[in-house]
Amino acid sequence: MFPTRSLILTLAATLTCTQALADAAGDVQVTTPYARQVPPGAVASAAFMELNNRGHEDHALVAAASPAAEVVELHEHVMKDGMMQMRPVPRIGIPAGATTRLQPGGYHVMLIHLRQDLASGQTVPLTLTFEDGSKKAVEAPVRRIGAMTKKMH
Amino acid sequence: MKKYLPYLLIPALAGLVAVLWQWHPGDPLRLAGKPRGGDFTLQSARGPVSLHDLRGRVALIYFGYTSCPDICPTNLAQIGAALKRLTPQERRNVAVLFVSVDPERDTPQKLARYTAFFDPAMIGLTGTPAQVAEVAHRYGASYRKVKSDSALGYLVDHSAFTYVVDGRGRLCETLPHAAPIDQILGAIRRCH
Repeated sequence: MFPTRSLILTLAATLTCTQALADAAGDVQVTTPYARQVPPGAVASAAFMELNNRGHEDHALVAAASPAAEVVELHEHVMKDGMMQMRPVPRIGIPAGATTRLQPGGYHVMLIHLRQDLASGQTVPLTLTFEDGSKKAVEAPVRRIGAMTKKMH
Repeated sequence: MKKYLPYLLIPALAGLVAVLWQWHPGDPLRLAGKPRGGDFTLQSARGPVSLHDLRGRVALIYFGYTSCPDICPTNLAQIGAALKRLTPQERRNVAVLFVSVDPERDTPQKLARYTAFFDPAMIGLTGTPAQVAEVAHRYGASYRKVKSDSALGYLVDHSAFTYVVDGRGRLCETLPHAAPIDQILGAIRRCH
């Protein structure tokens, strides 16, 4: 009786663990997150990071939240008709085995109606929500974007 | 004089036809042909500023808006960093103007706070929507308001060039988005 029960429990625990590892929050590693320091009184800022999917399934970032801003959206920049166009996007794909970069001039987590000015040294807590419903907490240090000596694109 | 009149009129008319041929008024999708630049007067937090007030100095002019979280800060940070590399004497001979293409939301005060973050001497300018449109058109800057579901309200698509005007008020060079510091410094020194 007891060995069977413990076997079932072990199996159940193993299955749960496997499932936990296969979700996006487990598969996607977030590296070099940061939020951009913007001028005092600015309405919006952007957070950037690299999303590395180490799993075997495709994932997607579909939402983000932060106590630092009233609204958080996913946006991308596209150069079209000679103009920089910023648009909200419903999802940012992170294919299996690939890295999706959120970086200046491209995808970003848009922090809208900042609750306070973002100063260097602060950290912006972010909660990322993936398409499978799993969530991941990320701490993005506020950085002043300085000079780039090389071209970005 | 009278008999020479046709000879003067024909090239003048041909010129006019050529100009009209290339002119696409009010077409926001098209970057203006060859930008002419030229003098203008817009409002700063400290009152009106005219380009001719800056004669003798190189002026860098960027068209953007303060709700812009990425593209404008990237360009202004690059310009700010380039200014720090100039000698004090060179620095005195350079002015940086940030012209808002979102005059409905960007007040001169808001612009002043925004520009001071990148360089204390940077000047934020705005005007009526018609004034801003006229100046942008002359410099070849394009922009348009776009309805969106974003909590930001409408968004503003905009070209991201920096226009470099020489000490005599003539449009001298155009820098691309996110130009490296050395390219900005080169343009400042060539246009001086």
